[in-house]
Amino acid sequence: MSGEMANEIKLISGRSHPDLSDKIAKRLGVEVARTISLNYSNQETSFTVGESVRDEDVFIIQSTATGNVNEGLMELLIMISACRTASARRITAVIPNFPYARQDKKDKSRAPISARLVANMLQTAGANHIVTVDLHASQIQGFFSVPVDNLYAEPSFLRYIRENFKSEDCVIVSPDAGGAKRATSIADHLNTAFALIHKERPRPNVVGRMVLVGNVEDKVAILVDDMADTCGTLVKAAAVLKENGAKAVLALVTHGILSGNAIETLNGSVLEALVVTNTVPLGDKVERCPKLRVIDISPTIAEAIRRTHNGESVSYLFTHAPV
Amino acid sequence: MVRNIVILGGNSHPRLVESVCNSLGLPSCNRILTKFSSGESRCEIQDSVRGKDVYIIQTGFGGNGSKLNDHFMDLCIMISACKTGSARRVTAVLPLFPYSRQPDLPYKKAGAPLIQPPSENGRKDYTFDSVPATPAPGGPKSSGFPNPADITNKLIRTSLGNGSGPASPKANGKANGDAYFGGNGVNGTQEHQDRRGQTGNFTTHDYENLSIVNAFEARPGYKQWVAQAGTLVANLLTCAGADHVITMDLHDPQVQGFFDVPVDNLYGRPLLKQYIMQNIPNYKEAVIISPDAGGAKRATAIADSMGMDFALIHKERRPTRITDRQNASMMLVGNVADRVCILLDDIADTGNTITRAAKLLKKEGATKIYALLTHGVFSGDAISRIKASALDKVVVTNSVPQGEHKALLGSKLEVLDIAPIFAEAIRRVHHGESISVLFNFD
Repeated sequence: MSGEMANEIKLISGRSHPDLSDKIAKRLGVEVARTISLNYSNQETSFTVGESVRDEDVFIIQSTATGNVNEGLMELLIMISACRTASARRITAVIPNFPYARQDKKDKSRAPISARLVANMLQTAGANHIVTVDLHASQIQGFFSVPVDNLYAEPSFLRYIRENFKSEDCVIVSPDAGGAKRATSIADHLNTAFALIHKERPRPNVVGRMVLVGNVEDKVAILVDDMADTCGTLVKAAAVLKENGAKAVLALVTHGILSGNAIETLNGSVLEALVVTNTVPLGDKVERCPKLRVIDISPTIAEAIRRTHNGESVSYLFTHAPV
Repeated sequence: MVRNIVILGGNSHPRLVESVCNSLGLPSCNRILTKFSSGESRCEIQDSVRGKDVYIIQTGFGGNGSKLNDHFMDLCIMISACKTGSARRVTAVLPLFPYSRQPDLPYKKAGAPLIQPPSENGRKDYTFDSVPATPAPGGPKSSGFPNPADITNKLIRTSLGNGSGPASPKANGKANGDAYFGGNGVNGTQEHQDRRGQTGNFTTHDYENLSIVNAFEARPGYKQWVAQAGTLVANLLTCAGADHVITMDLHDPQVQGFFDVPVDNLYGRPLLKQYIMQNIPNYKEAVIISPDAGGAKRATAIADSMGMDFALIHKERRPTRITDRQNASMMLVGNVADRVCILLDDIADTGNTITRAAKLLKKEGATKIYALLTHGVFSGDAISRIKASALDKVVVTNSVPQGEHKALLGSKLEVLDIAPIFAEAIRRVHHGESISVLFNFD
């Protein structure tokens, strides 16, 4: 079986989230491959490969750091195309938070569908497989003609809620109509009540009036969403919940993008805690915001990589979170 | 007159967009092109493009607080937005094509970058051997230009202080992990230290954080290599939906072959030629110099058409002594004594090549040295290098924004306007006329 020998997991890490890559590598028991990516003084990105990827099963881990999305994306594309030129057997792009996921439809005239563009770019560069976590809209998978594994943070969240609260005390709240499905799924699993906040959004990143549908009186209201960007929505929703008699309000969010004044907004809010996964590099935000808690998602991603490599089913991970 | 054209400008070079529009006599397309606070690009095209012939102008240059990769992604997003907005044809106009230069990394025979001990203290930031030598009576008029620094001196210090090399790879690499992105000059002193270290074997790319490169070690037995993004960039543009690409003075004309769509590679040559004829007195007596072998073809083309003499600078990489491992020494082929020299190159990025060439030419007795370049990127320490160099005049086109460079270099820098060439190319492409006349107006 000497032919099989060469085909091993080769983990390549981009610059955006070395911490996550290290955790995944440690869990898989492999070393991160010797590569460097950096920028020339003219700002072009250069990627140096220091070990062979020929006939290997390459997994490239690149999240997108807040504020540096394009830089990270371009670096990822260069890494993928470098591995393809270097005869890798299969290239899997592991993108915990998919960039431009919110620009997924032509919501007005001549608006770009940037998510589709990113999907096409990844395939053009040579990605054979995509692994991501909690896509903003699962339809984005349809932009690809290569397999996409969309992992869920839900099992990790369920465990967090079970460990920290009595489920009969909780109400799961979706901060907008679009996230209702995500929230009801958690509510069903925990067998708790569910509520929904309806909001009007005049422009992106600006929040309008909010109306609560459902009852949260004397309960712990748990807001569930896929991403927290400027946190305007979450904080306003929390205020609405508090007004409606919630005992405490916390939020469970997969991608903590936390851009702009998010940290200040959070610190001044009635939210008791914001629980995020580490799909996005958080930098010093944990120190700056005492309300921020982080769930480590690397076991789920590592297990998905192991299963993908061994050709096992990944669907177990949709309902279970490895410890 | 020109109907159904839409000119859409990116953020990289608003002044060029403006003057192209002025030349064509039409306003540029209204658009919103900013960033969301998360860092994702936000693009909205406010004028209709349905059935129109769209030209998107975005040059491959980052600076003045903007980033090259942002501009490139913006370009792809704009192309794709026009495509989904039912534009008839989308043409990407890239005066400077990003990622067109093949990266080079100094290698020693074993495969890793050659590391030299930092040079002596007391040097200024820009360092380098590109500073002209102080003239002294009876000084040797060398036939070559051996290694710049005093090699024996260096070797002595190498053998004495082995600790003067870079720190251990692991520690260095990790410590710098957070400064990877956008760490422009964050660790300035370290950077300068590192840059000084590379004096002997210069590269035409400067790294923002060289310590990482020096600390990097490939797996034993594997020769490290640098990914070349030219093909990728071409594919990404086509995948975004570009139907046609217009660019200027591609560093490698072969890049045209990376595309499946038509590419028009315009020349800055006519402009440079015009400059020589109009601004250099007695230009027939001057010598055209190519600063490296790669540009010889470009330079001879001009020299031949103008009936001027030609000389070439050759970067020799052969070891000249046993102890003197691999040092790029420069040799001049041709005679420049008591003559005006005109250095011709397509691109100056770090300015290393042209400033070193200028120093050699001065040493060989050139009276006045001009540098004529299509793309003056001038990144890293380029400006200070040029300021301190033997170059008398640097002439560039505005394929990338030159406002800041002009402010820093003053009268040493001359900027030629390429907007009329691009405007004419756009007009001709739109009307389906031949553009080959733009390749040679004498």
